[in-house]
This record gives sequence, structure tokens and C-alpha cells, in this order.
Amino acid sequence: MTTFITRRILQTLAVIVILSYVCFYLMSLMPGDPVDMMVASNPKITAEDVARLKSLYGLDQPTYKRYWNWMTSITQGDLGYSRTYRVPVQELMGPRLWNTFLLSFASLVLSLAIAIPLGVISALKPGSRTDYFMNLFSFAGISIPSFWLAIVLIIVFAVKFPILPAGGTQTIGEGPQSFWTELMDRSVYLVLPVLSLSIQQIGRFSRFTRSAMLEAMRNDFIRTARAKGLSRSKVIWQHGFRNALIPLITILALSFSGLFSGAILTETVFAYQGVGKLVYDSIIGNDYNVAMISFVISVSMVLLMNLVADIAYGFADPRISYQ
Amino acid sequence: MSSNEITLNNIEIDTASLSAKERAELEKAQPMWKMVLTQFMEHKLAVVGAVIITLFMLIAVFANQIQAITELDPDAQNVANRYLAPMTTAQVGQDVRETEIERFITTHPEAADKVQKALVEKGIVQVAEADAIYELAARDVKEAVTALTSLQVAEAGDLISLFKDFETFHLFGTDELGRDVFIRLVYGTRVSMGVGVLVAIASALIGLLIGSLAGFYGGVIDTVLMRITDALLSLPTIPVLIVMAAIDLSKLPVLKAIVSTSNESVFKMVIILCLFSWMTVARLVRGSILSIREREFVLAARTLGAKDSTIIVRHMFPNVIAPMLVSITLGVGESILFEAALSFLGLGIMPPMPSWGNMLTNAQELIYQAPFLAILPGVLILLTTISFNYLGDGLQDAIDPKAIRR
Repeated sequence: MTTFITRRILQTLAVIVILSYVCFYLMSLMPGDPVDMMVASNPKITAEDVARLKSLYGLDQPTYKRYWNWMTSITQGDLGYSRTYRVPVQELMGPRLWNTFLLSFASLVLSLAIAIPLGVISALKPGSRTDYFMNLFSFAGISIPSFWLAIVLIIVFAVKFPILPAGGTQTIGEGPQSFWTELMDRSVYLVLPVLSLSIQQIGRFSRFTRSAMLEAMRNDFIRTARAKGLSRSKVIWQHGFRNALIPLITILALSFSGLFSGAILTETVFAYQGVGKLVYDSIIGNDYNVAMISFVISVSMVLLMNLVADIAYGFADPRISYQ
Repeated sequence: MSSNEITLNNIEIDTASLSAKERAELEKAQPMWKMVLTQFMEHKLAVVGAVIITLFMLIAVFANQIQAITELDPDAQNVANRYLAPMTTAQVGQDVRETEIERFITTHPEAADKVQKALVEKGIVQVAEADAIYELAARDVKEAVTALTSLQVAEAGDLISLFKDFETFHLFGTDELGRDVFIRLVYGTRVSMGVGVLVAIASALIGLLIGSLAGFYGGVIDTVLMRITDALLSLPTIPVLIVMAAIDLSKLPVLKAIVSTSNESVFKMVIILCLFSWMTVARLVRGSILSIREREFVLAARTLGAKDSTIIVRHMFPNVIAPMLVSITLGVGESILFEAALSFLGLGIMPPMPSWGNMLTNAQELIYQAPFLAILPGVLILLTTISFNYLGDGLQDAIDPKAIRR
């Protein structure tokens, strides 16, 4: 078990390092480096100035050397400086990470709370009308473009019936408030983003819950439990659902990457100040330090979640052993 | 279907009444594709999906013909007619009319002369002959056309059709530049479906290659290829795609030759999406090849001295085609979604080329003036992806023998 965990951690680290190098290289392929931007905004700059600036920022060095310099400063805790926001990257990341965490967590909880009962109900009556509509709903959920759903939600709930804010993270200029009013304020802004992010997850989760549950209810021990006279709910939840949990954990682990991908689109549409929007804005605005850090952090978070899920299997199912 | 209705008890009665030909039909084994088709037809929603997909495919293929019939131009801007509601007719601005008429007069001087004379003679316009047609153009298009027809001049035919072009009908209204939304959606269908289908097929081929190499050779090759596959699978797709889409591909020396400037964004889109969507197929192919590898017919082929490539291509590929077909179908829907998302973010298909995704780019700012602009392309995306997903589901049920027993 310990060797398995160490090996997985090392693998994850290797993937992060390789990926950050690839990303660093790709960023150098983006049109225009920081000095090019300065040249564009200042017509008086001379060729010597450009050369001097490039060597000052180390832009004349090959990519691997620049990557090495960047990595050394990261390990020393210096994440660089954001050109767009004019603050060190550290100060930028904290609240953004928290906002994205709130959004993803709320959406995950909501989608699980809806999808699991839906999946179980339709698995208990396969082929029924309920099953049919659940199937239709989850297919629609998987197929719907989340950014479009977000726009439609804005049109309905913010334009036609203005009951919810069309975008943002919290009301601006309210000043310091008590904990509860702030919580209420923030959750109002979360409703539409969470909803648009959850639909796809609900579709995916409910389909998997259904098939996992169908599989679990086919087991012989379910018949035994029924024959023994156990109550219906006990058979379903304690004997059936518990065995359907393991494939569900796999899907849950794989859903983190989808959740984060969705968060970028949702945050962009709703102007929600999270990491996803930061990744997008910084790449569009050529803010290299921020782009690199936010990209590496977001990928690492997803990989870390996969790692946690891998380890969690061992506890969820004693039948799984790690060589 | 009649063969299915025969039960054991009445089989003698039933077959006795059958002719020899029908009996032979019954005894003949059903070919694979027929069984698959029968099974597929039972999945109602998959059939509906297939119909919708065929419809969209036809629209995509015949986009040019649709343009010719409707006489609409996807790039023609008309600033005077921005944000028109669906089902409205719009009239071209005066400046455009005057230049068109000027061109007509210079190209057909005799016809124009006759029409001008007739217009003044009949008293439809009270100006000098040289200005007669211009004066007519200032009026409502329908009125002008009836006036021209009432002249009964043979040469007026060209002019009437010119005047009819001044009035355009917009089934789905116009966008922020006054372009017709309907014809842009038609061309968007071509771009979005094209990218989706191309990506799904190309990435399936990549996956087939990598999966079969990993599955057939095993060992170090398998470990390395599968580690790469797993690593790519665990990545959050959209951030990676955004980084890839933001880079300037022409800076990569290899791609410089392929990427031309005119449709650079389409090729770029296909390449990027292919890079990150072959993994599911690779795993699927590897899995089936691992199990096929141990079967007797592979051993037999090897004993007969078949090369590795022959065994893989001739003996293994036919066995993985069916599950691959399902995965290609599901892949098209997914690729269309990704293309739409990237184009929506302004990183995919570049305007003025329309795609369903980039038609939604500005929609967000327009939700107050023209909400239908934001609704329509999304409905098409949803309809297409849901159809592909149902088609894939139906194919899976039809191909998988376990599903038949259920």
C-alpha cells in the first residue's frame, strides 16, 4: 500500500513537471512576448533597448534555461508579478482559488444530491416511464453546451425575470458586513453558475448510478436479502447501493477534470472571479506569469484529486489490493 | 419480423401455409448487419437521432445550393438592418440601390433607356428620363416592382429581378452586422459538423494505431504508451485546449506547411482537438486486442508465417471496428461541444467564417437587444450532440450481443 501510494505520488509529480515544461514551451509560442508588447506601446524604443530588455528578462536564452530559472524562483516562493493586475501572483491566487473551490464544491454536492436518487429510482424500474424520462434528461444534460445553458439561464432569470444577478461574485461596494449577510449575498451570486455547471454532471452521474445500481441489484445476495425478509429500503440502500458505490467513486474522480473545464466556461460567462476565469483572461491578455501559475495549479488540483480517489478505492473496497 | 412471431407450438401450422421460397428465407441465417439494423430500429430515439443527423449532414453538404436558392450571402453586411426579428423582410439601403442601378444602366444601356422612357410616358414618375429609375428605387420595393411589371416592357425583366433583390427575407432575423442568421447557421452547420466528424475519425485512427501497438507488443511499449494515455486523460481538457488554441501554430516548423492562412483556424481546431481526443479509442482498442491476442486464430496466422502487420490489420482490426464505430459516433458529439466552447471563447473558428460556437461569442452581450441570437445556435448544438449521443447509444445496444439478450 505504501509503495503504491509513493509510486502514484511520484508519477503525479512527474506528470506535473513534464506538463509545466510543455506549457512553458507553448507559452513561448504565443504571439508576442512581454518585450514585444513594450515595443508596440512605445515607438521611441531602439533596437539596442530591445536587446537590453530581452537579456534583462532572460528572454534571449533558450526555453529550457528560462524554464529552469522559472522553476528555481517558484521553489523559492516567488511566483512572479502579474502585468495586468500589477500585484504579485501570490496575492491574486488566494481569493480566486477559494472562489473556484466554492463553485465546484457546491456544484458537486448539488449534482450528487440530485443524480444519485434519480439514478437509483430509474435503476429500480428499468424500462418504465420514469426511467425513460430520466434517460432523456441525462442525455440532454450530457449534450447541452454548458456555456449556452449559462446564457439561457441569464436570459431567463436575469433579463426576463430579474430575480438573480446576471454575473459577478458578490455585490460591489457594500463594505464590511456580518458573516450571514455576506454568505447570503455570495450564495445569491452562486445560484446560476452552480446550476449551469451541475446539469452536465447530473446527466453523467445519474447514468452511471443507474448502470452501477442495475449491476449491483442483479447480485445473488440481493435475492437472499429479499428472501430473508429485509425491508425494501434496507435492501436497496445497504445491500444494493453500497455495492454500486465503487464504480461511482471512479466517475467522481474522473469528473474533477470535467468540473474544472466546465468552471472555466461558467466563470467566463458569469464574470465569476475564479481561477478558471483567471486562466482564460491571463492567456488572452498575455499575462505569462499568471497564466503559467494558474494553469499549473489547476492541473495539479485535478491530478491530486485523481490521486486521492485512487487511494480512496482501497478503503471503499477491500477486494482491491495494490501490489 | 414474422420469423420472430412464430412460437414453438404453432410452428407446424405456420410453416405449412408458407411457400417454399418463404420457407427458405426463414431457414437462412440472418446476416450480421441485418440483425444489427433490426436491433437498432427498436431504439426509437436513436433512429430519430440518425434522421436529424442525416438532415444536418445534407444541409452541410448542400450549403452552397441553399445559398443559391435563397440568394442570401453569409458575409453580406447591412448596417441599417441590424438585429431584425425573425420572419421579417428587410429592404436594402438607398446607397446600395443607387450603385446597383448605376451598374445596371451602364451594362444594359438600351434596356434602361426603354424603361426610363416608358416610366415617364406612363406618368409613374414626374422627373427627367435620366433619373426615372432612381426615383422609382426610392419607393417601397413592392410598389416599385408592381410599377415595373405594369409597364409591359420586355427589357424590364432584368431590372425587375434586380429590384426584387433589394428586398430580403430573414427567416431567423439578422445579427449585429445585419447578416442573415439563417444562411450563417447553414454555413455554420458545415463548419461545426465538418470539424466534429473530421476530429472524431482522425482521432479514432490515432487511437487505433496507438492502442493496437500497445496491445499487440505489450511490455515497455505498452507501459509507455498507456502512461501517456492516462496522463492525457486525467488533464482538464478546456484549460489545455485554451493554451493550445492561443499559441501561434505557424511558429511550429512542422505545421507551417499544412496551415494555410485562409482556413488556418479550422485546421488548427482539428489538429488540437485530435491531440486530446484519441485516448478513449486507444484504451478501447488496446483492451480488445489484448484479449484477441490470445485467441487461436491469431496463433494459427502466426504459425502460417504471417507478419505482425498482417495479423494486426487483417485479423485484429475487423474485431475492433464495431466498438470503434460507437466511440467515433460519441466522439463527434463531444468534438462539436469542444469546438463550440473554444469558438465561443474566441479561440476556435475565427470570424467571418461562421460556426455555431462563434455565433454565440457576441450573443452574451446581446441578450438584452436580441435574445434569439443567443438561443438559435445553441439549440442546434444541443440537437446535434444529443442526436449523436443517442445514435452512439443505439449502435452500442445493437452491436453488443449482451444487449440483444436483455
